[in-house]
Amino acid sequence: MKLLALIKKEFHRFFHDPRLIITMLLPGVVIFALYTFIGEISYADEEREYRVYLSGDSAVVAVIEQVILESGDKVEWLPLEDEEAARREIEEEEATAILTFSENFDLLGEDARVGIVYDGSSEEGLTFYSVASSILIGVGMRFPIEEEAIGDISEMGTDYLSSILPMLIVSFVFSAAMSVTLESVAGEKERGTLATILVTSAKRRDIALGKIVPLSCISMLGALSSFIGVALSMPKLMGVSLGTFGGYSVWSYLLVAVSILGTVPLIVSLIAAVSTLSRSVKEASGYVSVVMILTMVISLITAFLPAMGDWVVAVPVLNAVVAMQSVLSGGLAVWQTLVGTGINLLFTVLLVFVMTRLFSSERVMFGK
Amino acid sequence: MEEIVRAEGLRKTFTLSKKQQRIEQTGETRRIAVDGLSFSAYRGEIYGLLGPNGAGKTTTLRMLATLIRPDGGDAFLAGHSIVKEPDKVRDIIGFMTSELKLEGFFTPDYLFDFFGAMHGVGQDVLAVRKRELFSRFGIDRYAEVPVKNLSTGMLQKVSLVISIVHDPEVIIFDEPTNGLDVLTAKVVTDFLAELKGMGKSILLSTHIFSLVEKLCDRVGVIIDGKLAEEGTLEEVAKGDLETSFFELYHRIKGDAV
Ligand SMILES: Nc1ncnc2c1ncn2[C@@H]1O[C@H](COP(=O)(O)OP(=O)(O)OP(=O)(O)O)[C@@H](O)[C@H]1O
Ligand SMILES: [Mg+2]
Repeated sequence: MKLLALIKKEFHRFFHDPRLIITMLLPGVVIFALYTFIGEISYADEEREYRVYLSGDSAVVAVIEQVILESGDKVEWLPLEDEEAARREIEEEEATAILTFSENFDLLGEDARVGIVYDGSSEEGLTFYSVASSILIGVGMRFPIEEEAIGDISEMGTDYLSSILPMLIVSFVFSAAMSVTLESVAGEKERGTLATILVTSAKRRDIALGKIVPLSCISMLGALSSFIGVALSMPKLMGVSLGTFGGYSVWSYLLVAVSILGTVPLIVSLIAAVSTLSRSVKEASGYVSVVMILTMVISLITAFLPAMGDWVVAVPVLNAVVAMQSVLSGGLAVWQTLVGTGINLLFTVLLVFVMTRLFSSERVMFGK
Repeated sequence: MEEIVRAEGLRKTFTLSKKQQRIEQTGETRRIAVDGLSFSAYRGEIYGLLGPNGAGKTTTLRMLATLIRPDGGDAFLAGHSIVKEPDKVRDIIGFMTSELKLEGFFTPDYLFDFFGAMHGVGQDVLAVRKRELFSRFGIDRYAEVPVKNLSTGMLQKVSLVISIVHDPEVIIFDEPTNGLDVLTAKVVTDFLAELKGMGKSILLSTHIFSLVEKLCDRVGVIIDGKLAEEGTLEEVAKGDLETSFFELYHRIKGDAV
């Protein structure tokens, strides 16, 4: 089958060229090195001490303590006697947070409640909050977390994972997709090797799919490498332990994975279509960079505008960012993820169709 | 004699971009590149389309190779219409131009198999053809060398062999020797002669008189997108091809050379 031969060729090209593989995997390594380095500097001698008032009890407390100890910090649990006094201490930055569990919390009955009051203006308060809340989310979704920040929440901290990570993921996908797709589509067009394939009786649709399918798989690898780079450097960078990742349920992981899986082919086909329209790799990379920056800016805005309307699911790429944000901040955004992914796939199909048309267009392929 | 290629009133008009108008210093927005071109080439012969720069040779051959569509007219290759059955046509022609390149990373062996698959050639047939063509043109020793590391002559041979991977009935070749040094040019002309010996029909375009004299059985002279004259090499050359061409050219264009 011609499509199969086209796909195989693309994989062969990539996996037999160490230079390409290194270019694809390097960002992950660089991110790890860089973030770890930044982390070393900012948290070098800083060992954090949390003073947390505790009311009620739960097995979760031990887990939280474990995670904190693992990241090299200390925690002191104090019995909550006077809430007013404790809040005042938090305001004065003498205590980190108040953690309250309802009676028989661990039975996770209908009436299980948990509350976190934390210092939103300090590093310690924010980190403790993100560690504790992600672990609590991991325990189960049935109880609401009553949370309250005291003081102004410093921007970056609140929930690093949920607001920034989706945007980072999309930017990894973008740069991974760019590094292979520009070369493979715009490069082949520029060098005249694509025209050689167009002379054969291979269907234009197969030629388009023969690019997008393998390039999506390869980009996924690159994005994964970057993602692992971030995950590994997270403890150093944020002072947050890897345990935070473990705090999510299997379902959350699955939903995030679905969002990513839906975004990669979309971004690859977008770059491929732009590459087909461009005359050279240089021209294509100019256009794609603009698209990428635009996407990043919009994603960044959504990270700080938590309450977006439902219309967001109709916006390709952005829908995935928002869906991942809500999953990572504890909601099981099943509807958002599935509809968003469906819409992204729809756009991908549309772009494959556009590419097929472009490959058939003599003005695009053989124009002066 | 059996007609293998028949062009009937082929027309192609291009819209000129602003940039192109500037480069060519012209105010016109449309350019008639091929203007009702008709000609016939016969099976087993080499037919040469001879014309000056801008005459419309490349445009004509691209239409025959179904890379671009004519605005008017049609052409038939081994009976298949380029307008109605472009996929059929692509499988019975081998198209060669200097603009079609092979990816330097791959080996001749890989590319032969890949393009064989692109034309839907079965694996058994492909293996036999590869052995035969590679040994005939001395490629076998370089079969596993990435194309980018081959000498120009060897690369040219590989490109030629790959363009006939599917054993096409008609070989279409735009400016076969353009930009090649004498040695590589000889590789190409020898190859074409060999193909003719194998019974293939060849259609080539050129502005080089000696190439026509050396290779072609029949010639069509194309000027301003129209066929100015057609016949066997003897009929068109009338003793000397170059002299006859310029006489024809002056008759059509006046003294504006
Ligand atoms: N894609 C295109 N867009 C606009 N004009 C074109 C295009 N292709 C060819 N032309 C114009 O059509 C005319 C015929 O061009 P063509 O390339 O067919 O000539 P040619 O006989 O191959 O000449 P040469 O010997 O220079 O290769 C030229 O004036 C050229 O500028
Ligand atoms: Mg030409």
